[in-house]
Amino acid sequence: MNPLFFRKTIIAATGLFLCVFLIVHLSANCILLLPEDIARDLYNSYSTTLRESPLIKIIAYVLYVSIILHAFYALLITLRNRKAKPQKYVVNHSNENSTWTSQNMGLIGTLILLFIIVHLANFWARIKLGMGEDVRLDHMGNKDVYEVTYSLFQNIYFVIFYTLISIPLALHLHHGLKSAFKTLGFYHKKGLKILAKISLIYAIIMGVGFGIIPFIVYFK
Amino acid sequence: MTLDSKIPEGKLEDKWRNYQVKSRLINPANKKKLNIIVVGSGLSGAGAASTLAELGYDVKCFCYQDSARRAHSVAAQGGINAAKNYQHDGDSVYRMFYDTLKGGDFRSREANTYRLAELSAPLIDHFVQQGVPFAREYGGTLVNRSFGGVQVQRTFYARGQTGQQLLLAAYSQLYKMVRAKKVEMFPRSEMLDLVVIDGKAKGIIVRDLVTGELKRFAADAVVLATGGYSRVFRLSTLAIGCNGSALWKAHKKGALFGAPSFTQIHPTALPQSSEAQSKLTLMSESLRNDGRIWVPKQKDDLRKANEIPEDQRDYYLERRYPSYGNLAPRDIASRAAKERIDAGFGVGKLKNAVYLDFKHAIEKFGLETIKDRYGNLFTMYEKITGINAYKEPMQISPAAHFSMGGLWVDYELMTTIPGLYAIGECNFSDHGANRLGANSLLQASVDGYFILPNTINNYLASEIKTDHPTTDHPEFEKSEKETKAHIEQILTINGTKTVDHFHRELGKVMWQECAMSRNKSGLEKAITQIKTIRDQFWSDVKVTGHDKEMNTELEKALRLADFIELGILMCTDALEREESCGAHFREEFQTEDGEAVRVDKDYSYVSAWEYDNGNFNLHKEELEFEFVKPSVRSYK
Amino acid sequence: MKVTFKIWRQEGPKDKGAIRDYEVDGLTEEMSFLEALDHLNELLVLKDEKVIAFEYDCREGICGQCGVFINGRAHGPHDNITTCQLHMRSFNDGDTIVVEPWRAASFPVIKDLVVDRSSLDRIIEQGAFISAKTGTAPEANAIPIPKEISGRAMDAAACIGCGACVATCKNSSAALFTSAKINHLNTLPQGKAEEHKRVAEMTFQMEIEGFGSCTFTGACEVECPEGISIINIAEMNARVTKSRIFG
Repeated sequence: MNPLFFRKTIIAATGLFLCVFLIVHLSANCILLLPEDIARDLYNSYSTTLRESPLIKIIAYVLYVSIILHAFYALLITLRNRKAKPQKYVVNHSNENSTWTSQNMGLIGTLILLFIIVHLANFWARIKLGMGEDVRLDHMGNKDVYEVTYSLFQNIYFVIFYTLISIPLALHLHHGLKSAFKTLGFYHKKGLKILAKISLIYAIIMGVGFGIIPFIVYFK
Repeated sequence: MTLDSKIPEGKLEDKWRNYQVKSRLINPANKKKLNIIVVGSGLSGAGAASTLAELGYDVKCFCYQDSARRAHSVAAQGGINAAKNYQHDGDSVYRMFYDTLKGGDFRSREANTYRLAELSAPLIDHFVQQGVPFAREYGGTLVNRSFGGVQVQRTFYARGQTGQQLLLAAYSQLYKMVRAKKVEMFPRSEMLDLVVIDGKAKGIIVRDLVTGELKRFAADAVVLATGGYSRVFRLSTLAIGCNGSALWKAHKKGALFGAPSFTQIHPTALPQSSEAQSKLTLMSESLRNDGRIWVPKQKDDLRKANEIPEDQRDYYLERRYPSYGNLAPRDIASRAAKERIDAGFGVGKLKNAVYLDFKHAIEKFGLETIKDRYGNLFTMYEKITGINAYKEPMQISPAAHFSMGGLWVDYELMTTIPGLYAIGECNFSDHGANRLGANSLLQASVDGYFILPNTINNYLASEIKTDHPTTDHPEFEKSEKETKAHIEQILTINGTKTVDHFHRELGKVMWQECAMSRNKSGLEKAITQIKTIRDQFWSDVKVTGHDKEMNTELEKALRLADFIELGILMCTDALEREESCGAHFREEFQTEDGEAVRVDKDYSYVSAWEYDNGNFNLHKEELEFEFVKPSVRSYK
Repeated sequence: MKVTFKIWRQEGPKDKGAIRDYEVDGLTEEMSFLEALDHLNELLVLKDEKVIAFEYDCREGICGQCGVFINGRAHGPHDNITTCQLHMRSFNDGDTIVVEPWRAASFPVIKDLVVDRSSLDRIIEQGAFISAKTGTAPEANAIPIPKEISGRAMDAAACIGCGACVATCKNSSAALFTSAKINHLNTLPQGKAEEHKRVAEMTFQMEIEGFGSCTFTGACEVECPEGISIINIAEMNARVTKSRIFG
């Protein structure tokens, strides 16, 4: 296949996988909204189950690879696309024919990537790699991931960071979801109209969901 | 010089077959050795170039645009006629032939016109095969619509973009052969001279429009497919780049010019709105099916159209031609509009338009029906004028459109210079003194795809044995030198007026005296005036920049220099033809109520003009009507 | 009316080029944008300056040759029109109008506002045709094509090849142009025989020419004078996959 189509297909496919992942991720995060005594146990046992399931382990690797491929090919494509327009217009009113998001997916994606790095350092590095402060065990013997989360979101700067990042995330998902389908060759006219609505709803749920939880935890 | 039209023997319907049976052939191995130059990449040029390449010839194709896809065939809206009789309404090749001949007011050859009708049906097959998305019925069969001047439905169309779709099919086929390395394409290249060696066309001189370099190209035959020359009026429905230079250079090298004054004026274009205007946009003739044309009864009426009551409106077409009304043929509708405008009843800012009103149609059929029928045209009208034509009448005006005249060609489409062919609008062949709607795309395609590839062998068969020309022949040297001198002369005048200034002057004279209606004193005056414009041009034009670069001003100047000379020939031809026929209306030859009077006894011939050092000598090809008796066209 | 044109001037492909200012008086609202440039050129000639090179031909919105970036938009401030259909009444007296050539690596500037769009021709060359020779056609009504199918083919076939899609796309992608042609021919039964080859070769050429990839900003369908839908690109993507599997 032509390299460009191959790259775009990879970006779209990994993107869609990440979209599904986010649904699972957000559902789990909702546990944090429960009263503390239920939430802690449920959350910790859930994360232990995830860490220990072999199936989830495979999926985790798919996830890592997806993020890397998604970002890597996006970078390649962006570089190539820039080369395709070496000279910019002196005046360009692209906002009159397209959304700001669609014009800046690379920039938004980079922000999200930065966030992912911070996010991984906050959780993954501590819990899985054992870096930084030790993670205590809860009364059931599970790693107290709830505590990790809770303590992180006592820091107002992290709360603001996590909340703000949900805005570019929502934008990225809104454009990304519907575009991924088109890249993969979905061209049903009515279907695309429905898809556009679904993308919007999905992006709002994800944005609001991920954006609001740190705040709720903070005020808990 | 005697003009041999080389019409084959036999009955009308057997002539083309008889010709093909006797025509000489060339074996495939020899075709490879023969080079053909095609100038122009429109429907006829691209069709010819690709078909000749498929047959095995080595083809070079030139166009002045940046791509073959821009050629002005692209702009034809209405459709293409073919005698398929799909509508089961009594159509036949013979009927189509007769309609075309009558539409042309019996000033074309029977045999050519019959062949045009005969080849129309396979042409539709061809275009469908090439992927043209013609309009279809729900069941999948092809749709037809009717067009002016005929009583059957034989027009095939692809929305309002038939010309575009046909051209793109031809362009695709051309690029298929470019890929096969059988056609070499030269865009942004303009032919500036024809090279004739020992009386035969053997090559051309071309200016590369990007670098300005003059280049020589040799070939065994040269095909001109350069379209019409109505830009001689400056304001026309043609593309700005359309020009008559290739024709004119060929004419000066000995090719006779046939019926130069036969120019069709289209009745439904948008009026000129300012001096600076460069182009008159055509509105499809189909609008006249439902629109009613009128002007105020009162001179210099300053009221808005909608404020003028019914009894103060003059529906002059309905008044003068009660049976055909607003659907009178193009030449008649144009002339009637001019008559009203000249008499001071014109409307619009410059008083140069008439109203085309849909008020009654909207009342009768409802807004939705009218939107459905003409929506895209109303949108186009609004894009250009900013006026919503559902609410107030359109303003329309006649505009120079199609050149029936062109290089004189015989039945083989060869000009009077052996080895030089002219196809499509640039020849004078099938339309006589007036072309029927939707016959233009047809003629261009049939010439390029079907006729030329079958007739060119007959000439080239004898060229295999002769020496192939090379570009170091002294004639190439001479031609290039002359062209160079011509360009230098223009660049060194350094006068005080722009090229466009002279073009506007020429256009005014031509439009006033050599368009819809003509008379002796006017034409004589026009010739004098054009000669003055010519002298002023050559002493006072200013072109900046130099010749070794892209210089659009120089391109315009070179084209205009030829248009000016062509204008003189057009007036000369119009002056000589003392009768009214088709688009040629001489005021001296009309009935009491203003209808054309044809003089078959004296003028049943094609005028073919020979260039003679600035003068023109007339030759006549007498038209013999063996199968049809010329009748009087009446639309009363 | 009077406006200030800020126009990109560039002597040749290797020249650097820059914006130059021209104050032009004596324009009228009825003038088309191109006629305003004609008018400016006449003034330049009389001032003994070289004219601005810009492209046009039919001036009725169908040939696709005109096309410049006007005030930050391909073909000017309105959606779905060509430059020749833009009129001065869209501007106000005293306006500044910035005019730039199409920008794309695959559309190198030749001079001033003129760019070389032959890359689009070369995409066409790679399969935008039906390889049947003249004279081999079966009867036109032999293969029925339902109205809906021919209508869809026509929607895509309407492309005028102006390059506005490439010019306005931040990636200079030719996906709309290429997909329109592919979908025109591949929708029709006549084009089926070569459908996979056509898709593979035309899209491959699109990449060789250095066009970027489509990221569905949607700017192209807004600037396209024929309003060709971006759904064509999605359909092309499906065809690419199909050609990989069946081609």
